[in-house]
Amino acid sequence: MPSLARTLPEEQPTQQKAVLRVEDLHTWFEVRRMGFFKAGDVRALDGASFELYAGETISIVGESGCGKSTLAKTILGINHITKGSIFFDDEDLSTLDKEGWKRYRSNIGYIQQDPYGALPPFMTVKRILEEPMKINGVRDKAEQTRRIRQVLEEVKLAPIEDFLPKFPHMLSGGQQQRLVIARAMVLEPKMLIADEPVSMLDASVRVEILQLLQALQRRHNLAILYITHDLSTVRYFSERIFAMYGGKIIEKSSTAALLEQPLHPYTAALFEATSDPDAENLKTFKDVPAGEPPSLMNPPPGCRFHPRCRKMIKGLCDVQIPPEFWVQEDHAAACWLYKDEV
Amino acid sequence: MSTRDKKIVLDVQNLKLYFRTQAGPVQAVDDVSFQLRAGHTLAVVGESGCGKTSLAKAILRLLPRNISTYTGSIIFDGQDIMKYDDEKFRREIRWHNIASVPQASMNSLNPVIRIEDQLVEPLLIHERISRQQARTRVAEVFEIVGLPVDFLQRYPFELSGGMRQRAIIAMALASNPKLIVLDEPSSALDLLSQANLMNVLKRVKQQTDATFILITHDIGTASELADEIAVMYAGKMVEYSSAQYFYTDAHHPYSQKLMASVPTLREDKELEFIPGQPPSLINPPTGCRFAERCEKRFEKCSMQPDTTYLENGSTVQCWLFEETGEVKHA
Ligand SMILES: Nc1ncnc2c1ncn2[C@@H]1O[C@H](COP(=O)(O)OP(=O)(O)OP(=O)(O)O)[C@@H](O)[C@H]1O
Ligand SMILES: Nc1ncnc2c1ncn2[C@@H]1O[C@H](COP(=O)(O)OP(=O)(O)O)[C@@H](O)[C@H]1O
Ligand code: SF4
Ligand code: SF4
Ligand SMILES: [Mg+2]
Ligand SMILES: [Mg+2]
Repeated sequence: MPSLARTLPEEQPTQQKAVLRVEDLHTWFEVRRMGFFKAGDVRALDGASFELYAGETISIVGESGCGKSTLAKTILGINHITKGSIFFDDEDLSTLDKEGWKRYRSNIGYIQQDPYGALPPFMTVKRILEEPMKINGVRDKAEQTRRIRQVLEEVKLAPIEDFLPKFPHMLSGGQQQRLVIARAMVLEPKMLIADEPVSMLDASVRVEILQLLQALQRRHNLAILYITHDLSTVRYFSERIFAMYGGKIIEKSSTAALLEQPLHPYTAALFEATSDPDAENLKTFKDVPAGEPPSLMNPPPGCRFHPRCRKMIKGLCDVQIPPEFWVQEDHAAACWLYKDEV
Repeated sequence: MSTRDKKIVLDVQNLKLYFRTQAGPVQAVDDVSFQLRAGHTLAVVGESGCGKTSLAKAILRLLPRNISTYTGSIIFDGQDIMKYDDEKFRREIRWHNIASVPQASMNSLNPVIRIEDQLVEPLLIHERISRQQARTRVAEVFEIVGLPVDFLQRYPFELSGGMRQRAIIAMALASNPKLIVLDEPSSALDLLSQANLMNVLKRVKQQTDATFILITHDIGTASELADEIAVMYAGKMVEYSSAQYFYTDAHHPYSQKLMASVPTLREDKELEFIPGQPPSLINPPTGCRFAERCEKRFEKCSMQPDTTYLENGSTVQCWLFEETGEVKHA
C-alpha cells in the first residue's frame, strides 16, 4: 500500500502557479424578520485571502457553522460575493460573461458534503456521468464514452459494464462517493473542491477514498481544497492546513509546521480534542474550552474567540480584531499573542 | 480491589437477534457472548451495519416488530432477564437498572416542553417519589453532567447540541441505573463538544461507578472511556479484548486491518484500507465471515471459527488462534 503520509507533504507542488486566488472574500447572508424587515447579516465568511497552487491540497478545518461550506460555495458561484474577489488562472471572475462562467465552472469539480443526497436517485450511473457533459457542450458520443470509461476506471468502479446501468441506491456508501468523484472528474477540471467528502463513511472506506483523490491529484496535477472537521485525516492528505473559526481563517500553515505546534489557541483546542486510539487516554481529562462558537449575526468584538480564550489579553483581544501574524515563513495566526514575534 | 475481583454485572451468552425481511432473515446479532464487570466500560466498535445498535436493542429488549429470532441468555446482576416477560422486564429492568441513550437521541427531546418537566416526568412514572424529590434528583444529575441548574427551566431549542446531549445523559442517569447503554453519543457533535462530553462521561464513571456499554465507530473516541473493546463484524463479535492491549496488539485479522485504517493526528503511520465490503447479513457465508477479505485465510476458514480464550483474557473468533488458547466450541 502506498504511504499517504511520507510521500505527500515533502513533495512540492509541481508548478508554482496559483490556480485560484481569493482576495478579502466576504459572503454575508441577509436575515429578514417577518419577510421584509432586515434584521441583520449572517457573516458566514468574513474576509478570506489565499492562493491555491496546481498539484497542491489545502485542508480547511473547523467546526460546524464556521463557514467552510460557505467558502466552498462562494468559490463555486453558488453563493454571492458580498465583498472581495476571486481569480482563477489570473482571471477575475467578476469580469466573466456567461460563457466565461461556464468555462470556469467546468474547471472545478465539486464533491459535496453528503454523498447520499448528492446523486439523483432515478438516474443510472451512465446518465449521471453524461449529464454534466451535455450541459457543458461535450456532445460528441465517442468523446463522452471515452471520458466515462476513463473516470470509472480511475475511481475503480469496475467492471465498468456492470456499473453503467445501476442506480445510486444499488451502490454502497463508498461506491456512491466514488461515483460523485467520477462525476466531478468527467469535465477534466483543474481543481477539486471536496466538502467533507468522507465524513459519512467508515474508517476503511475513508482511507480508500482519500487515496483515490490523491492518485487523481498526482495524475492530473489537480489543485484540491479539502474541507473537513476531522483533524486526524489532514496530515495524510495536505500540503497546507487552514483553520477557520467564526467566519474567519484564523491560522494558515504548512502541514509540517502545524503538526509541530499549532499557534492559535483555537487550533490548539482542536488538537487537544482529537483522540488517537491510546489506552493512556482513559487516565486524563481533555483541556478544552467550554462554550459555543459565536453568533455570526452579532459576532463578539475583537477576536471572535475571545469569550472562550484563556489567554485573552484584556483591552486588546476584546477590542481589536487581530490581523494575520506570520510567525514563521510558512505559518501564520490571527492572534494577538504573536504581535511581537513577527 | 483489582479489576478481576469486580463482580460480573452482565453475562451475555449466545445472543441472537435476526430480523425478518422478504429476502430472508437478517442475522444482525449472531451468537454473541461476552461478560462485563461492574464499573467497567465496554466499547463496541465496527463498521456501519455490523450489528452494534442491534446488539444494544437486544440487550435492552427495544425490538422492532419484524423479529424472526431472539434467543440466548442475558444474565444481568445474577438473573436471566431473557426469561422475564415483557411486563416484568419493563417494570424491573429497563430504565431502573439498564438505561439507554439511543443513537441520535439529542433530537428526541420535545421542543415545546421545558427540560425539567421532561426529566421529572419519567421519574414520577417509574419511581414512587414526590415531585419535589424528583426535582431534587434531576438537579443532582444535571450537575453531574456539568450543566448549570437554571438551564432546567429552558426549552430544548435554547440549548446547543452538546448541551442537549448532556441533558439526555442526565435523564439516563436519573434512575441510578447499574448499566447505561450509549449508542454513538457524541458522533453528531462538534469536536470540542465531543471532547467535553467525553470529559463528562469520564467524570460520571468515576463518581457513580456505573457500568457503560459505549457504541461507536470512532475508535479514538472509544479509547477515552473504554476498559474493554468488542469488535463486531457482520453480526459476529470477532474479538473482545482489554483496551490496554487492543490498540497496539489486536489479534483478529479484521481488528488489525481496522486499526490500520484509523488515521492518527500525532503519529505518522501508513494508512491502509480493507478492499471489498462486508458480506450481506442475509445468507452470510457459512465459514468465517471475514474470509473473503482476509489475507490470512486458509482451508479451515470455510468453517465458522470457534471462540478462543487467550491467556491475557481476550477472546477471538479466528482459526489462527486455535493452538494459542483455550478453545470453546461453538
Ligand atoms: N428492523 C430491521 N429490519 C431488518 N433489518 C434490520 C433492522 N434493523 C437493522 N437491520 C439490519 O441489521 C444490520 C445491523 O444494523 P445495526 O443498526 O445494528 O448496525 P450498526 O452497527 O448499529 O450500524 P451504524 O454504525 O450504521 O449505526 C444492518 O444490516 C441493518 O440493515
Ligand atoms: N444560504 C444561507 N443563508 C443564510 N445563512 C447561511 C446560508 N448558508 C450558510 N449560512 C450560515 O452561515 C454559517 C456558516 O455555514 P457553513 O458555511 O455551512 O458552515 P460549515 O460548512 O463550516 O459547517 C452558519 O451560521 C450558517 O447557518
Ligand atoms: S487574539 Fe486573544 S482572544 Fe483571540 S485567540 Fe489570541 S489570545 Fe485568545
Ligand atoms: S478465520 Fe481465517 S479467514 Fe477468518 S479471520 Fe481468521 S484467518 Fe482470516
Ligand atoms: Mg459544511
Ligand atoms: Mg447504529
